Amino acid sequence: MEFNFSKFAPSSETIEMTRKIFSLVILLGTASIFTIQAQTTFPINGVQDKNAAVYAFTHAIVHVDAKTAFEDATLLVKEGRVIAVGTGISVPKGAVETDLNGKHIYPSLIDAFSTYGVDQGKKEKKENPSPQYDAEKKGAFAWNDALNPEVSAAEKFSPEAKKAEELRKIGFGATVSLVRDGIARGTSALVLTGDGTSNENLLQANVAANYSFSKGTSGQNYPSSQMGAIALLRQTYFDADWYSTLNDNTKEMNLGLEAWNGVQSMPQVFESPDLLSIFRADKVGDEFGKQYIFLGNGTEYRRIDAVKNTGGSFILPLKFPDALDVEDPFDAQLASYEEMLHWEWAPSNAKALKKAGVLFAFTLEGLEKEGDFWPAVLKAKEAGLDSVTALEALTTVPAKMLGLKEVGSLQKGNLANFLITSKDLFNEKNVILEHWIKGKQYKFSEAEGDSINANYSLKMGSKSWNLELTGTVDKPSAKLVKNDTTKLDVSFSQKNELVTISFADEKEAKAKYRLTGRKDFKNYQGQGQGPEGVWADWSLTYTSEIEKKEKEEKGKKEEKKDEVKKDTIVGKVVYPFMAYGYTEAPKPQSIVIRNATVWTNETDGIIERSDVFINNGKIQAVGKNVAVPEGTIEFDGTGKHVTSGIIDEHSHIAISRGVNEGTQAVTAEVSIGDVVNSEDINIYRQLAGGVTASQLLHGSANPIGGQSGIIKLRWGKLPEEMKVKDAAGHIKFALGENVKQSNWGEYYTSRFPQTRMGVEQVFYDAFYRAKAYKAEWATFNGLGKKEKSTATKPRRDIELDILVEILDSKRFVTCHSYVQQEINMLMHVADSMGWKMNTFTHILEGYKVADKMKKHGVSGSTFSDWWAYKFEVNDAIPYNAALMHEAGVNVGINSDDAEMGRRLNQEAAKGVKYGGMSQEEAWKMVTLNPAKMLKLDKKTGSIKAGKDADVVVWSDNPLSIYAKAERTYVDGVLYFSIEKDKAAQNQLNEERNRLIQKMIAAKKGGAKADKPSKKEHHLYHCDTMEP
Amino acid sequence: MMNMKTLFTASVLLIATSAWAQIPKPGEMPAKAMVLTGGIAHIGNGDVLENAAIGIENGKITFVKPMGSVKLNPETADIIDITAKHVYPGFISPNNTLGLTEIDAVRASNDYAETGSFNPEVRAVTSFNTDSRISPTVRSNGVLITQATPRSGRICGTSAVMHLDGWNWEDAALKADDGIHVNWPNRFQRSGWWAEPGPTKANEKYDEQVNELRTFLLRAKAYTENPSPEFNQKMAACKGLFNGSQNLYLHVNDAKGIMESVLFAESVGAKKPVIVGATEAWLVVDFLSSKNIPVILERTHSLPANTDDHVDQPFKSAKALFDSKILFCFDYAGDMEAMGSRNLPFTAGTAVAHGLKYEEAVKSITLNAAKILGVDKSAGSLETGKDATLFVSNGDALDMITNDVTHAWIQGKPVDLDNPQKFLYRKFKEKSEN
Repeated sequence: MEFNFSKFAPSSETIEMTRKIFSLVILLGTASIFTIQAQTTFPINGVQDKNAAVYAFTHAIVHVDAKTAFEDATLLVKEGRVIAVGTGISVPKGAVETDLNGKHIYPSLIDAFSTYGVDQGKKEKKENPSPQYDAEKKGAFAWNDALNPEVSAAEKFSPEAKKAEELRKIGFGATVSLVRDGIARGTSALVLTGDGTSNENLLQANVAANYSFSKGTSGQNYPSSQMGAIALLRQTYFDADWYSTLNDNTKEMNLGLEAWNGVQSMPQVFESPDLLSIFRADKVGDEFGKQYIFLGNGTEYRRIDAVKNTGGSFILPLKFPDALDVEDPFDAQLASYEEMLHWEWAPSNAKALKKAGVLFAFTLEGLEKEGDFWPAVLKAKEAGLDSVTALEALTTVPAKMLGLKEVGSLQKGNLANFLITSKDLFNEKNVILEHWIKGKQYKFSEAEGDSINANYSLKMGSKSWNLELTGTVDKPSAKLVKNDTTKLDVSFSQKNELVTISFADEKEAKAKYRLTGRKDFKNYQGQGQGPEGVWADWSLTYTSEIEKKEKEEKGKKEEKKDEVKKDTIVGKVVYPFMAYGYTEAPKPQSIVIRNATVWTNETDGIIERSDVFINNGKIQAVGKNVAVPEGTIEFDGTGKHVTSGIIDEHSHIAISRGVNEGTQAVTAEVSIGDVVNSEDINIYRQLAGGVTASQLLHGSANPIGGQSGIIKLRWGKLPEEMKVKDAAGHIKFALGENVKQSNWGEYYTSRFPQTRMGVEQVFYDAFYRAKAYKAEWATFNGLGKKEKSTATKPRRDIELDILVEILDSKRFVTCHSYVQQEINMLMHVADSMGWKMNTFTHILEGYKVADKMKKHGVSGSTFSDWWAYKFEVNDAIPYNAALMHEAGVNVGINSDDAEMGRRLNQEAAKGVKYGGMSQEEAWKMVTLNPAKMLKLDKKTGSIKAGKDADVVVWSDNPLSIYAKAERTYVDGVLYFSIEKDKAAQNQLNEERNRLIQKMIAAKKGGAKADKPSKKEHHLYHCDTMEP
Repeated sequence: MMNMKTLFTASVLLIATSAWAQIPKPGEMPAKAMVLTGGIAHIGNGDVLENAAIGIENGKITFVKPMGSVKLNPETADIIDITAKHVYPGFISPNNTLGLTEIDAVRASNDYAETGSFNPEVRAVTSFNTDSRISPTVRSNGVLITQATPRSGRICGTSAVMHLDGWNWEDAALKADDGIHVNWPNRFQRSGWWAEPGPTKANEKYDEQVNELRTFLLRAKAYTENPSPEFNQKMAACKGLFNGSQNLYLHVNDAKGIMESVLFAESVGAKKPVIVGATEAWLVVDFLSSKNIPVILERTHSLPANTDDHVDQPFKSAKALFDSKILFCFDYAGDMEAMGSRNLPFTAGTAVAHGLKYEEAVKSITLNAAKILGVDKSAGSLETGKDATLFVSNGDALDMITNDVTHAWIQGKPVDLDNPQKFLYRKFKEKSEN
């Protein structure tokens, strides 16, 4: 048997059609139609009316999937399924045939991440805003209310008629719905958007397991921060593993963990609300052998390589920002470069992912309304996304990614979920005419006919007029032409081949001609009444095309299109994606700074007229007349001062979503290192203040806080690249008013401890637990192979792991402290538990116990002159640093403040003013001494051959108010200089101006434009409370 | 040395009896005239006189002359040799809560934020605490005058210009009730909560709030013009705004707000508007200059307001105002402002690092501030006839590394430069040395 196939590609891309499909179609064409009668448990009220008809859609362009399409093809559907598709298929007798006459058939679209049909729950408003420390969920579930692995969206699904209709209209026949609540969110379900019952529309339960960093409706305090959410995820992976090995359920019965284990084999979907969350989630996934599929956020293009390196596929929202109304120059000041450039880039996100080879599906998530979907898709297309990829992202990709069965393509056996469209789906004039779901028809509109642009002659009785008909042949609009300049409106409505026309033939005339009639090919005829009510026959006859104008308009349109194309040029991606970001990563310089005053921080002290040679990221040589290889940049440092970079022992810049996990007294399990925010302008601002490294500390809301992140200020790099490799682990402890919640308000009076007495006991308790834990593991690890196999493995506790590291002197404590008695107390705790305090930070009464600190060997990292902000700093004095220094304590000056962080040189200078420190020693307080505290002094903190080239060139004595950091090197890379900054300012100015002009043009072109709003930069201090 | 140590011990014994009784005694008017000789006199008006002789008598400056032109007579005047030291008019710290607060987090110690929205009648002067533990630490760095300023509400209250020494507020007041402070409505409102801040939204009540303020001040103006009004405490408190005896301090930061508030002040008939805060004043220098509006510029040591701003914008805004001939001074308002106001000189120093001429920076925290606060007849510069409110520093007082104040006088009375922090320093230094 011979069949004629014709291949039709929906875009210019060449599409390989596989032989498999050909032969499949051949077989289908000849196969007899046979389906099993579906039965249901539901009783029928009345006489059954089972629809067993075969529906045949003929002469259509059938897109079986994004890459496979047949022209002049047939689709056969029976009882909700595709039973045949292809060309040359004979329509069985008794089939309901629809001749589609060249219209398109597409598989219905799938929303890969939806809340459709599933109740999302609500956060309960509490009458009493007291903290909630324990879970309140009913049932034997997990300890934390943000863990809901047992939730099944399928069980909560019930169709929402109105929403379903909206989804169907824009082409969505199925959604993967979930309860978007909590850190573990349970499983999603594949549901149809039909209008039947839950049972009829639920296709597949337990599609994927879902996660996020947001605790959702949980009223439990823990976790309050993103790092807390990350720790909770980690601990739950360990707990679930431990739980699965328990053979004794008297230890714990936990349906939450059972459910958790039950969902692990499904696809794992992670909601990432911002760019860096993707990488954070991916890191957790890697630790536990999980590859997440990410719900993206539209900013993936900003770090496309890193996004690709996650190895994950993505579900992409199509929410693109509106333009900003920047016509007023002062309002425009509020529009950031980041948001303007994002406006320009956002539609290109999908294309960028495609180019990088990252697999993605689309979701409606994030769009304000369903109606925004097609304009957004067309925008993405305009930005360069090809139609095949777009359609795949809405059909086969989500199906494959999430293991969805029977949807996504129109192969035989799949559900008959399809769209009938007037044109190519991605043609901007396309209309979705019908949507069939599981074989049921939902009809939206008649095909929009061809356009019409013609002159007609209307005759009625003895009168005649000229009419112009424009629009489409189905819905023409008409004007009565009096002469070249005067045209009168004609009401012309056409429905189901019948027309009603009314008009007045004079402008002032009140009475109208009223005609009714039918369409007869191109012409119309019927009866009507004149203004005086006299009946007469009428006819409306085609005379000619309105040609000239059409051409003109076409020309105009084409011009406009060209303009739009020109405008699609977008700015370069900058790293980080904000003002002062780099288009290309700066490389380490080979440079010699000649004839400068060099503050070595070594035995040489401050040496005048000396050279510093930097190469390969290291300081190569220091001294007079240093010989350098050819190609080394010569820099005249006459009159300049050269120092090692400032190290801020206590910083809270560059942290995302919460500096405190202060919800429990002990949270050693959380780590600032997990939430380093590389996209913080304060990194750049601090480089401009000569800072090269910072310890990003947890806040001080609880006695044992979280682990630190130690970074170098490598502006433009990602968090993991900023972190100092192989840095020793550090952790924050805290004492005093913050941890005893003195200033937290009246509702925070129940967490232990509320006194300094209690604080001491929290530490003892923690370390007693840690010791027992350590012993438990030692015992287990000491067992023989055989014994191990029968023994219950101890539970991995990531909080106690960290405390054990402290006991083992592998992790170092920085403790927020104020008054002398608590400082003394903690040193006693450490001594008696067998470890040593590393650093007291704040330490404002350190001067009272400096001798004891010296004896213990602890450093003091303090403020130069802060006091009077709370009761416990009443005895703080600016002479503290000098007095501790005199007692032999290693003293640092730290910021705890993004603003002061960029002026730490000035703060160090106050050591000279208050207490008469030597300038050299004062300077060490912000360089070498903090390096020692952070155990980084072998690598950095002084100007010495072999050390990292973390170097600053100052305009003046760095301790002077008049000193400016002119050049800041980190690892030999010039991340900041006054010249580069100036160039960056100019470039920023140009780019801003370009974007502002483009936005104004967009607004004039009819785009929505919102007023820019002020950005509140969220600055953390360790004293800032997060309930 | 022996004497010093005895003195220290004596003071330790004296003060240790009560930790709160460490505030030095106010100075007494010297019976004799005095002459400061050989110092580098930063006049405060932009001039500097090296090797100067400064005469002081009865609390006033009697002359400022080159050394060579003065005959010294130790019998009629004490000679104080300050050769090569720097001498400045007492620095002035406007817009601060010093004296109205002791410890930020201790509510009982805070007296600067009255409840309610329109409180022109509340007066800072009578709440000013001359026994503050903070004040002595501030004047030790050369700040001798502060403007005690109420906060909160739309109309916060009435401020007062105070000396940082005195037995009581009556003594300390240089100018009571110098002006009324208005928090201009914000154009934007925050959403979300602080740990997870939502986007900032336009303040929908902006117009309403401006109008409320307008209505209030128009009522006040009508009240003052009414020959026989029914007594109203709030209205009566605003009188000075309309006769030019009081400033209207408009606390506003954004460029549009600055312009709107100035035009607003004109429209309600306030004679002497002053812009306070003025983060974005650098954007509207021409406007401010053409309207001749003085500016109290926010703390130089601030972060730029917007991500895209130049990293050094707050450092160089002063230069922009200077270049446009706007009368401006610096404040230290903001976090920890009371204790932090001892760093006011260094914020002026930072402006020097970013383009302002040194003597202009000095002027900004002396004569400019005095002019803006309306006390320049008696304070703000080292000029004959003015109050002898001045200090001597071993080095440049705008640079923390050299700021070392050795003498200070307020209206001719010597200021004891000891303070509770120095006391604790001595106490524990001695412990460590023993």
